[in-house]
Amino acid sequence: MKRRVLIGAIFWTLLISLAHVQLNVGWRELWKSLRVMSGSERAEMIVGFLPVT
Amino acid sequence: MKFTDWPTVKEALISKDIGGVFILAPMAMQLVADGVPIRVVYLGHRDGTAIVVGVDSDIRDFRDLRGKTVAIPSRYANQNVLMHRMMKKWGMPYDSIDLRELPPPEHPTALRSKSIDAYIVGEPFAAMAEVGGFGRVLYHTKDIWPEFISCVLVVRVDLIEDSPELIQELVDGIAKSGKWLDEDIAHRMDAAEITAEHYYFQPPELLKYVLSKPADRVKYTNLAPLRPDFDEIMELAFEIGVLSRRVAFSEYADDSFIRPLEDLDWEMERLARPTDEDGRK
Repeated sequence: MKRRVLIGAIFWTLLISLAHVQLNVGWRELWKSLRVMSGSERAEMIVGFLPVT
Repeated sequence: MKFTDWPTVKEALISKDIGGVFILAPMAMQLVADGVPIRVVYLGHRDGTAIVVGVDSDIRDFRDLRGKTVAIPSRYANQNVLMHRMMKKWGMPYDSIDLRELPPPEHPTALRSKSIDAYIVGEPFAAMAEVGGFGRVLYHTKDIWPEFISCVLVVRVDLIEDSPELIQELVDGIAKSGKWLDEDIAHRMDAAEITAEHYYFQPPELLKYVLSKPADRVKYTNLAPLRPDFDEIMELAFEIGVLSRRVAFSEYADDSFIRPLEDLDWEMERLARPTDEDGRK
């Protein structure tokens, strides 16, 4: 019983995490964040401007 | 990322599509008053704004603008604050000039068609009427409000907390670029060529005019956000109803990224060079 609950909890956590990435974060963003965290890519910042001075 | 209107800029900041933006100073204050988590970390430039009238206009000084229609870029622009500052200085009631919001690119054409009597705007749209031969500068801001602030660099607070090194690199880059621009007129001419093609999409000759006639028409040094400058803007903006409440300098500004200008210089030999089609530098 305990084992089934544990497997269920792990499965549920995994499922909810995948859904969160898919719906809220985006796989591309996650991949980029991991690369920045690992140091293999520089962090990027987008700066907006209006072409007036 | 290029934008064409201010509401979209605000949305992009809130949705975190952009990390920072060059934005109108009073608008940055109002965004903070509205709860948008941003901070002013640097200025875009000093001066670089002018009041322009028709070339044959009989308007000779600020008093002559009484009863006239003058275009401003936005009610949240410091140009709007400047007009009210001038009216106060000249003892004119705030409603003595008809101020109309108009997108900056439309200012010169509106003056040419005589649908307005004058306009106040940031460059290169002030110089456009001069170069086109139908406008005359009544005042440069350097002569009526020296070290005028128009656009400021704001960044998201979460980026300041999570990636301060990114903000530092950006601020240092702007400071170094400004120092390089202001130390030699030849640098300004080079910059005009590059920015005309890649950022402003305006004729290089127009930008060269802006950057040299006169050379102090727009300045790119002294870009640290200084409290007395901002306090004056904030008080005036609140007085004329642009700001919904008074906003303290510490609420909307973070000057921790400022470094002495003498410590900053581009290492020119280490800068990336544009490559030709064959990939050669």
